[in-house]
Amino acid sequence: MKVSLIINEKPIVLEADPDMPLLWAVRDLANLKGTKFGCGKVLCGACSLYVDGDLIRSCSYPVKMAEGKQVTTIEGLSEDEANLHPVQQAWMEIQVPQCGYCQPGFMMAAAKLLEENPTPTVEDIKNGISNICRCGTHPRIINAILLASKIKAHGSIK
Amino acid sequence: MDRSNKGSKKGISRRKFLKGAGIGVSGTMALLYFGRSVIRRGLSGFVAEMDMPSGISDFGPHLWFEVNVDNTITLKSPKVEMGQGIFTGFAMLAAEELDIDLDKIKVVHATSANGILGNTGVSNSTSSLYVNIREVAATLRETLKLEASKLWGVGPDSIETKAGVLYGAGKEVTYAGLAKQTSKWETAETPALRPASAFKYVGKEFNRIDLPDKVLGKPIYGIDTTLPNMVYGAVMYSPYIGGKLKNADLSRAESAVGVLKVVQDKDWIGIVAGTRYAAEEALAKVKAAWEYNPNYNTKDAIEAVTVGIGTEVNIQKEGSTGRVQSEEVKSEYRTPIGFHAGMEPSIVVADVVDDKVTIYTSHQHLPFMQQSISDRLGFSSKNIVMVPVFLGGGFGRRTFKHNAVEAVKLSQAVGKPVHLLYNRQQEFQNGFVRPNTHHVLSGKLTDDGKILGMQHDFASGPMGFMAMPKFVEPILGADFVVAGHGARIRYAIENLKTTMWQSSLPFETCMWRGVGMFANTFAIESFMDELAHKSGVNPLKFRLDHCGDTKQLNRRKKLLELIGEKSGWYRPIAEDVGRGVAVCDDHKTIAAAVVELKIEEGKIVITKVYQAIDPGVIINPAGIRQQVEGATMMAISASLHEQGTIENGRFVETNFHNYKVATLKDTPEIEVIMYEGSDKPSGVGEPPISPIAPAIANAVFDLTGKRLRTLPLQVALENENNSM
Repeated sequence: MKVSLIINEKPIVLEADPDMPLLWAVRDLANLKGTKFGCGKVLCGACSLYVDGDLIRSCSYPVKMAEGKQVTTIEGLSEDEANLHPVQQAWMEIQVPQCGYCQPGFMMAAAKLLEENPTPTVEDIKNGISNICRCGTHPRIINAILLASKIKAHGSIK
Repeated sequence: MDRSNKGSKKGISRRKFLKGAGIGVSGTMALLYFGRSVIRRGLSGFVAEMDMPSGISDFGPHLWFEVNVDNTITLKSPKVEMGQGIFTGFAMLAAEELDIDLDKIKVVHATSANGILGNTGVSNSTSSLYVNIREVAATLRETLKLEASKLWGVGPDSIETKAGVLYGAGKEVTYAGLAKQTSKWETAETPALRPASAFKYVGKEFNRIDLPDKVLGKPIYGIDTTLPNMVYGAVMYSPYIGGKLKNADLSRAESAVGVLKVVQDKDWIGIVAGTRYAAEEALAKVKAAWEYNPNYNTKDAIEAVTVGIGTEVNIQKEGSTGRVQSEEVKSEYRTPIGFHAGMEPSIVVADVVDDKVTIYTSHQHLPFMQQSISDRLGFSSKNIVMVPVFLGGGFGRRTFKHNAVEAVKLSQAVGKPVHLLYNRQQEFQNGFVRPNTHHVLSGKLTDDGKILGMQHDFASGPMGFMAMPKFVEPILGADFVVAGHGARIRYAIENLKTTMWQSSLPFETCMWRGVGMFANTFAIESFMDELAHKSGVNPLKFRLDHCGDTKQLNRRKKLLELIGEKSGWYRPIAEDVGRGVAVCDDHKTIAAAVVELKIEEGKIVITKVYQAIDPGVIINPAGIRQQVEGATMMAISASLHEQGTIENGRFVETNFHNYKVATLKDTPEIEVIMYEGSDKPSGVGEPPISPIAPAIANAVFDLTGKRLRTLPLQVALENENNSM
């Protein structure tokens, strides 16, 4: 069937099986590869993106449910590369990624966490994000979210 | 250093490599047929101390570098970037000799067509190429000078290079400008390298050059590979250990929507479809019956891996071991099966056109993969082009087990490029695992608190046999090179003995970050703690008391003193906090950790980790700090939570809901301490993995008086508490 949706503010019509996970529709039909496959069972968070502003693990979210909705992926988190989202600025500053594969999911979750709680404590961050990273970037993720919170409040990294 | 007889492009470093590699492969193997026990012990000692060679043997600058029209230089990496940060270190090393700004050096993967693509592993990517990359870069600089000298009619020595520009005879030209005017290159002699005192980059902190792409979500990984007309594969393997395909009903899969082809092979069934979803859906419609042993369980794997069972090989013997056998202290330790569970599952995109194959993959050992495609499917190696892509994690998982043969067969079946990805369940059930181990430590103490003798008997499944020719197995007798890595006792003790029992397991076992060092350090460093407490000596002082006077032991001593000072080891600590220490030598690198923890509602909560590392030359401190933090977190995960189990002939673990790994909740403060104890660099990625498990167990003992001798420690603590 044809599914009409808006990905990163651009309307797009995809020819897809209605039950195809949004993850594969975004990656392989809309050709936006930043959203990653990790577990396929809503456990690891690598496939995190937003549907109408809600944080969704897209590996188990049928594309038909996104019909007519706004989808935001890592490629659409910032306005453009010159005006990075505070989370991405902080990720650069703290040098978070190693292999980097899980990081788009973490950044999407982090940006949502800061929307809901602009000044999280370390405990809030630890309890608020359950994504999985195997390279062990955990300490930097926590520090980057604390920094992003400051960037959001003050408008710049300094 | 004598450079008089140096060739133009295959100079000293190549001969060095061949010398190092030659000892391990030909000479020793022949000798092993004779005086086995002595030679095996000798080989074990040699391997533990050796510099790990790069495996790269061609150093022509044209293979490594390209000068681009925008006056940047592209460096082709013979090693793959899987998160270690090697691209950044390589660019720094090249910049030392190229006289071009660091941000003008781009690093990409070499392909097999370059002729320099090697395997990636054993934590040696940067250390093994520390000299080579600078030599090839220096040769390129001299080659540019040589061509400019011809252009300007002056001697090459009168030409200077600075920030990507050549100056001489009152003229100047950029590297790119010169390259544009030069059609035939004459490669210059490799010059003497600039001394460490002239380094502009090595030793300073630099940001990762691959970071922006990773923060912006660019399509850089194997899974992101897209080719024109590409279709998607999905493969069913036996979910059972050693399962053989009895029969399969493919009819429902063949008629499923979007399916292009169904392929039944000896032990797998493959689907090709227009989308990954269609391929997976069709695969779920396959009904397959497997022949397997339904009575195989975790306890069988544990029984098989037990000291006293299997081939016995003595790998260390000093003094009189008879005195050790009348032991005073004796303890047994066990480590479980471990999965890598890297975030990007195995991925191969195969494109077969006639007799030519192109493989795009995020894999550690591409030459091995190329060879296995050639061996198993009959393609000539020169017709198989291997294209490495960024890896979403490696950890040893992506060394030998791969799905390239299946991808090639599926591509042949449909005449299109096929994108073939393991699903998560297959990563657990059809990858390979870290073997479980068993250790028996015994020791005898003198009245004044010294160790008179110590003995380490251990059993493990193989980790490195898959990397060696079949004929090597009976010669070595046991996989003491890889599974036995770290098994030797590296303290100054008069009477020592280490013996390995090679276990046989029905499932595939292989390398996991740190290889045998992880399990062996857990056992040895836990036991050192037991001996320290038995003798009433502070555990850190006890270790220092047993560091002798060799160069390596002095480095160990220095690092232990440093971590003692930085962690405030001798200062009192809060009553509800336990503190433990451990150390290991991984080839030439030393890593030591101090762990502080609490126990809250029965849960081990690590509050602070000090991790000290002496990797010799510190090339990029920022990169090393990242690797040490990462290894610390991965080790916390494996030490506290991770274990593979088997029930009714199959691995129980299928995804992250039943294979618990560390999350943000498990994150302590981590303080990394670096010390440069040698003028040669050695590995960084693996060494800091190993001291964490014993340091945690030792800290639990410090806090509770309970000695946990089985990983994972959180489970061991719960079992201990339940048995009381």
